[in-house]
Amino acid sequence: MKIWFTLLFVTLLLACSIRVLAQPQSSAPATKTSNSAVPKKVKSNDGEQRFQANCGRCHTPPEAISPREVKAVLQHMRVRAMLSAEDEQLILKYLAP
Amino acid sequence: MKRTLATLITFLGIATSVCAQSDVPILSGALAFNSSATAGVTTFQPTLAPVLVAPIGDHWLFEGRAQLLGFFFQQNGTSGPYTGQFFATLDYAQVDYIANPNLTITVGRFLTPFNIYNERFSAVWIANLQDSPIIFTIGTRTSASSNGGMLRGVVIERPNWLLNYTAYFSALQTTENLQAGRAAGGRIGMFLPKAGIEVGASYQRFLQNRNYNVAGTYFAWQPPQIPLDVRAEYAHSLGGQGYWLEGAMRIAKSRGTTTWLGRLQTVARVQQFFKGTPTPQDVLPSADVNQFDFGLNYYLPHDVRLNGSYGRAYSSTGNANIWNVQIAYRFLFPAWPGEHK
Repeated sequence: MKIWFTLLFVTLLLACSIRVLAQPQSSAPATKTSNSAVPKKVKSNDGEQRFQANCGRCHTPPEAISPREVKAVLQHMRVRAMLSAEDEQLILKYLAP
Repeated sequence: MKRTLATLITFLGIATSVCAQSDVPILSGALAFNSSATAGVTTFQPTLAPVLVAPIGDHWLFEGRAQLLGFFFQQNGTSGPYTGQFFATLDYAQVDYIANPNLTITVGRFLTPFNIYNERFSAVWIANLQDSPIIFTIGTRTSASSNGGMLRGVVIERPNWLLNYTAYFSALQTTENLQAGRAAGGRIGMFLPKAGIEVGASYQRFLQNRNYNVAGTYFAWQPPQIPLDVRAEYAHSLGGQGYWLEGAMRIAKSRGTTTWLGRLQTVARVQQFFKGTPTPQDVLPSADVNQFDFGLNYYLPHDVRLNGSYGRAYSSTGNANIWNVQIAYRFLFPAWPGEHK
């Protein structure tokens, strides 16, 4: 029985730690960005300029990108749309500061 | 029991670190329904095009896109009951290794990087006009995808310009839904971010049936001050040559405008094709063609887009009207659940 209590305690502890670890990313500013109001609070001029210059070359950006998705989106675009490493980093900081 | 506990803790520890990562895989793509009438023949095409992107650390990436297409038409062309077929194709399924800022190595099935329409503008939720340009098949035979290896990257980056390159080899593949031609080629492009200009050139040596050279150039311009997109391509092969020039303008002061009128985009495209020497399995028109298209796109909220276009093709084999109406929904979400505020 003790073992089950220990197991339950450890599981709860780890579940909480998942939540805590996930928190800083999900609560970051502009967590969910809107195309029409792309993170105004966290504007980095370089990042915004690169975003405008690169992403709009082919398409209108999606209405919302969460920080969890940004890295995958940017790596995908780095390969597909030939983003430079510098562009990738600046846009990443702009969208998921 | 201790062993079970240790295993469980290890498993949960791994789960913790995985869940804490920001680079979760994403599922993107589009769901679309297209109605087309070409020379009086009406077809309906529902399409689902899912894209999976899975980063593995900072250097590895898996990305894939499939197309599930329905094609419904009248049995006798312009009369009779409707009948339909479903197709599934794999556009790309590639593993990328981002070695350094100048080099990415790709292995697997990838979109053939000839000019830029195939790689960047052909997706159903991106193309301004739903019909591909006539010269689309030049340089992208046999299926617009290649099976093999590719090197690509940015060679030089300066504040005012950037030079990129692509080189690839594709092996012959005849398996249904995974077809590819045997070919080798490359592309070099320059991007001027401040002027919003992109120019480049492509070359390919098609290495099956009858070896021949294919070449092309492209141009794209997005003046930063106005929401105008200009795109153009020229391509030449043994089977023919041609070009297309497209302009798209948002009825707004800027691209981000979301007023009801600002969501409207007008599109116009002109294209000419000049027939060359017929080649085996050529999918190019059998005669010269001149065509213009005019369309309207409306960007609704929630990544839904409405398209309507009219085109007229002039050819010695017969002139034709081309009508297209489409609704497309683009989706993007993490491939597994989690915080998504």
